[in-house]
Amino acid sequence: MTSLDLSIALPEILLSLWAMVALMAGAYFGKDRLAQALTWATVAVFVLLSILIGVQEPVAQQAFGGLFVADGFARFAKMAILLSGAAVLVMGMDYLERTKMMKFEYPILVSLATVGMMVMVSAQDLITLYMGLELQSLALYVLAAFRRDSVKATEAGLKYFVLGALASGLLLYGASLVYGYAGSTMFADIAGTIHGDHLPVGLLMGLAFMLAGLAFKVSAVPFHMWTPDVYEGSPTPVTAFFATAPKVAAMALLARVTFNAFGHAPGDWGQIVGLLAGLSMIVGAIGALGQANLKRLMAYSSISHMGFALLGVTAGSEAGVKATMLYMAIYLTMSIGVFAFMLTMRRDGRPVQGISDLNMLSKSQPRQALALLVLMFSLAGVPPLIGFWAKYAVLAAAIASGYVVLAVVGVIGSVIGAFYYLRLVYFMYFGTETDPLDDDGVPAQRWMTLAAALITVLGVVNLFGIEGAATMAAQALVH
Amino acid sequence: MSLALIAALPFIGALLPGLMIRAGRNVCASLTFATTALALIGLMMNAPAVLWRGEVVTEGWEWLPQIGLNVTFMLDGLGFLFATMILGIGLLIITYARFYLSKTDPMGNFYTYLLLFQGAMVGIVLSDNILLLLIFWELTSLSSFLLIGYWKHLPEGRQGARMALTVTGLGGLAMIGGMLILGQIVGSYDISVIIQSGDLIRSSDLYLPALILILLGAFTKSAQFPFHFWLPHAMAAPTPVSAYLHSATMVKAGLFLMARLWPALSGTPEWFWIVSTAGLITMVLGAVIALFKDDLKALLAFSTVSHLGLITMLLGFGTEYAATAAVFHIINHATFKAALFMTAGIVDHEAHTRNIRLLGGLRKLMPVTFLIGTIAALSMAGIPLFNGFLSKEMMLEAAHEEGTWFTVLATIGAIFSVAYSFRFIVHTFLGPVRDDYPHKPHDPGFGMWVSPAILVVMVLVIGLFPAQTVGHFVDVVASAVTGGEIHTHLALWHGVTAALIMSGIAVGVGIVILAFQRSLAPIWDNARRPEAKAMFDWVIHRAAKGANELTDALHDGAISRYLGIFTTVILVYGAWAFAGGEFSQGTRPLLPIGPVEVVFFALLMAASLGVVLTHRMRFVSLIVISICGLVVSMTFVQFSAPDLALTQLTVEVVTIILLLLALNYLPKETPVESSGARRLRDGVIALATGGGVGMLAYAILTRDMSLPTIADYHVENSYIGGGGTNVVNVILVDFRGFDTMGEITVLGIAALVIFAIVEGLLQGPASRRLANWVPDMAQARDRHPLMMVVATRVALPIALVVGMYIFLRGHNQPGGGFIAGLVVAIALLMQYMASGFAFSQARQKVAYHGMISAGVLVAVLTGTASVVLGWNFLTSTNFHVHIWPLDDIHLASAAAFDLGVFLAVVGAVMLALASLSRIGRRAGEGINLTPMDVDPSAANPVGGVDMSRDLNPEDR
Repeated sequence: MTSLDLSIALPEILLSLWAMVALMAGAYFGKDRLAQALTWATVAVFVLLSILIGVQEPVAQQAFGGLFVADGFARFAKMAILLSGAAVLVMGMDYLERTKMMKFEYPILVSLATVGMMVMVSAQDLITLYMGLELQSLALYVLAAFRRDSVKATEAGLKYFVLGALASGLLLYGASLVYGYAGSTMFADIAGTIHGDHLPVGLLMGLAFMLAGLAFKVSAVPFHMWTPDVYEGSPTPVTAFFATAPKVAAMALLARVTFNAFGHAPGDWGQIVGLLAGLSMIVGAIGALGQANLKRLMAYSSISHMGFALLGVTAGSEAGVKATMLYMAIYLTMSIGVFAFMLTMRRDGRPVQGISDLNMLSKSQPRQALALLVLMFSLAGVPPLIGFWAKYAVLAAAIASGYVVLAVVGVIGSVIGAFYYLRLVYFMYFGTETDPLDDDGVPAQRWMTLAAALITVLGVVNLFGIEGAATMAAQALVH
Repeated sequence: MSLALIAALPFIGALLPGLMIRAGRNVCASLTFATTALALIGLMMNAPAVLWRGEVVTEGWEWLPQIGLNVTFMLDGLGFLFATMILGIGLLIITYARFYLSKTDPMGNFYTYLLLFQGAMVGIVLSDNILLLLIFWELTSLSSFLLIGYWKHLPEGRQGARMALTVTGLGGLAMIGGMLILGQIVGSYDISVIIQSGDLIRSSDLYLPALILILLGAFTKSAQFPFHFWLPHAMAAPTPVSAYLHSATMVKAGLFLMARLWPALSGTPEWFWIVSTAGLITMVLGAVIALFKDDLKALLAFSTVSHLGLITMLLGFGTEYAATAAVFHIINHATFKAALFMTAGIVDHEAHTRNIRLLGGLRKLMPVTFLIGTIAALSMAGIPLFNGFLSKEMMLEAAHEEGTWFTVLATIGAIFSVAYSFRFIVHTFLGPVRDDYPHKPHDPGFGMWVSPAILVVMVLVIGLFPAQTVGHFVDVVASAVTGGEIHTHLALWHGVTAALIMSGIAVGVGIVILAFQRSLAPIWDNARRPEAKAMFDWVIHRAAKGANELTDALHDGAISRYLGIFTTVILVYGAWAFAGGEFSQGTRPLLPIGPVEVVFFALLMAASLGVVLTHRMRFVSLIVISICGLVVSMTFVQFSAPDLALTQLTVEVVTIILLLLALNYLPKETPVESSGARRLRDGVIALATGGGVGMLAYAILTRDMSLPTIADYHVENSYIGGGGTNVVNVILVDFRGFDTMGEITVLGIAALVIFAIVEGLLQGPASRRLANWVPDMAQARDRHPLMMVVATRVALPIALVVGMYIFLRGHNQPGGGFIAGLVVAIALLMQYMASGFAFSQARQKVAYHGMISAGVLVAVLTGTASVVLGWNFLTSTNFHVHIWPLDDIHLASAAAFDLGVFLAVVGAVMLALASLSRIGRRAGEGINLTPMDVDPSAANPVGGVDMSRDLNPEDR
């Protein structure tokens, strides 16, 4: 352990320190009175850290004897995680205040989960992977049950915990098999033991179990069951968080493991990941069709989107990874926009989340309705909005790698998916007249929705240059 | 003018009407007109190059080259034809709409939407990149959605808009897949490249999927069977929209695409059968339905469906002649059908009804409209002298070449076409003047009829002088479609051909059918037939319901189902991975199986089975579980692992005791919630999973791993590096000292969490429930039996000494701080069990919180000490101590660390116990300050039972 090691992992260390300082400050001075100040401070820390990461030299640096790496891929994912986390914190504050859930633990738990995610995406070793994953998961378990006085939330949190524990156990089981057969926990060494295009049975089994554990974290079908329940049960700001940063982290981790440790045999894991992707795209789309609750709908929608992102990983190529990273960044933007709006959804001061509550939004809040329309079309993958380019990139990558059937499944999934996104638009523009929603969202939320919609439209020009960053990320991972 | 500018002009212009609406409706309309006119002029500037010099005008630049998207435009004959139609008819529609829309309609929005739509259409026909084309394609879906739903107050308008968007939107998305595959086959997304690579595409394995996906897009857009149903419902839109979108432009986008990709995709049996069959069915079906529609616009809508089918069929034939006929008919259809729609709009506008049964006799009231409508309808019927006749002849000729079936069905289509066209004329305009029109009609102003008038002039001129007017144009376009050189000979008179005979039959029979239309109509209306809208709604409804059923089946909220699915999938994964490689027998010899092992494993299996069978009786199953634990610790003994055995044993005892105490306040039985079938299913899953895990363990244990085991390293270095011969203990306190430090911290936190949870519990509603708790089992009469008190009292010093001993020997022989802590904790636990919490508490002054933190602190300080001395954190050293009269004591610095472990363990267990006893007291358990129920040595033998429940309210 040298000071160089520490400087490479500086963002993670700083964030951990911040979480502990905030915890102490919260516990000893002021408790929940400090909650808002702590949240703002956490936002500032997130933004500063992402700047810090952004200005790091664009070379891959390994730390702690190769257990941890800061490369282009990690940087891309970390910035996405930090910035989306900051956005979610900002837009959720008003909601938490109004529902009297603004506890000082909230930003701290988010910070801790974020540290976990950052460690995950930088992992170069099974142990590092697990450490990051569990740090993230433990914080998320608590967040899922954050609304303690609600039976539904508690139940959802408990389910998430039980299934999550099973998934973690499975991951560890797989990891120990991998270690047993490869003789090392380091990704590079594991990759070194693979000769030829196929994995030996032991490694394959270990990999299959590990992928099952990771699939749980990205909520890929058939390990997705917790998602709708948790999305619905959690307070909306927490749901928004669940829908954004952890997804990026888990997806990045999945790509990390498959490429860094098993990159020589893409055919083997391609089948597993491809199955996950195909099922997710279809089940996610079908599941969302009948939902009347916006949060459940977004849960299924996220499952479907994760399927598409996995499609890029399945491709097993640099283009595929690039597509996945682009997809995640674009998905983040759209999700934040939609959730920022959902946080403002109130009628007579009480939060509502039914689809029918959107009825004739075009009349009561025309600007928001238009922004939401753009976001929905983008989520549906309608050209020319950036949601389409995201889908296009993964589909193209999958076809280029020979997964034509899967790509067709993806297209079918997006066709089904389009239906329910358009249904929301239908409600907003042609629904029946009902009492309008309260129009007292705070500017932060409103601007977040509008900005997301604007990015969705303007991003078409050159994707804000994010493409170059994604290319660098993909190159760092696949080389 | 630059092609990009032509495509961009409508989009730029779309801002104007919205901004300028305050300046008045005329300004608004003029600006829209001017924009469109400018674009049309720009297009015409390219006419010499395209039409006479035969060039293909291209231009473009890279947009996102990494994903193959380039903004490239090209203009050839086909694009020129469509662009001219879009912009030219656009001009007429803009003029017409200015007078058609009423004062209350927001005109600014209308023109904005119209221009957006126009731009998207122009974009489609000028794109040279299929991705760019896709973008414009979806933009037309969106803008047409807005246009169709323009009259928001009409529910049909909304539903029509929704249906149109759903069908065309879904088709468009399917097309994306097809385009991607196409681009993948060719390696380029440029249309100009793709249409050069026909052979490559047709020979590809992916030809069929690509074809089907692309045709899905084209068919839905062009309302081809079986997607024809949305078009008539979209007619709820204002008439200018219908005329523009649903006759001249948008519905032709599908045709455009088929024509554009004709060189790449046509010429195969698949193409022929799919496209021409769909076209033929659409043509006949649309014509038949049109005859029986009473709504003028519905009649025209189905007629449009029919004509689109006709063109599709021609494209499907795959011959150059048919393609030429298709091109010619596209031109002709656009002229007469737009005129007819506008005529219908005028009638609606003036008579306030479009119902053909309420009309008739308008000839005298609206002579101009009559003239226009009649010429256009005659052309639609395919009567000589009008342009519809010429292209229809060519169609019949082409169908005739394809065989009998096509000849017969095409003739039937033509018959009905004649019938409904004449019906349009006869039932609307001819007959006596009625006096019950909803509104007395008369000819509209010039502004409204000028647009259709221009169109019918074209109908006539083209009909009379086809070769001179459009002959060259058709040649150029047909050449662009087919990719070959085409010179047609358009003329009115070809002599008596098969087509002419078919035409004659069509006119004759058509007129006869019309004569009987009034009597056929009731039969048709009463006939049972599939109703497209109902079917669409049914499909949507079924789909939603099916989706819900699937979702509910997957997510019924029961975690048992989630876990079941989860586990099953894992099993499948394991089996898949296992099947994926070759399994070989293990290399390690198996150990001999002795009687002891047999007994152990029989016991273990019996106990496991017992847990399953007795799991509803919680106490019993807990006891059975403890048997499993005991067998495991015995197994450790058998395989010479006394450390592990000791640890397992003590942990087992502590956890079982604590669990027993906790269970006391919970229901003793688990209610039955699952059916037998479900238990069977779960049993199968459990057995399979257990079997799988067992097999895996077996597989691993029977083979040598390629790498040296880490055990060897630890055994070698245990004494040298750690100064101890008990490897397990050295691992705990030295090799993995850092881990252990973390673990005791976690253990301490867990105990604190239990404490905090109980604290919260006793303040919430659970507290009330506890206070009212009635024991659900008979209680033993002696809570603190004499014998137990005496026995535990005697055992305590012995246990403490044993604990001490185990602690001290730990570094070299089985033992250590962890086990010692558990032993001591068990001894203390027994005191509490025997004499009650209050009694023991009064004699035991150590605060457990403090004990835990002291333990953690000691451990940390030990580690830090080595840092202070210049070594790494937690480096250990060892030394020998001689304390008379004791023997030589070999101490390692790690022993101090072990002390921390010891303290933390004792503290954690006792804190958990204290928490449990708090629950007990709230539940009404007595507090006794004497050691036992009956103290024979005391003066008053019956002592402490429930001295008073109020004795110490603090403690409750």
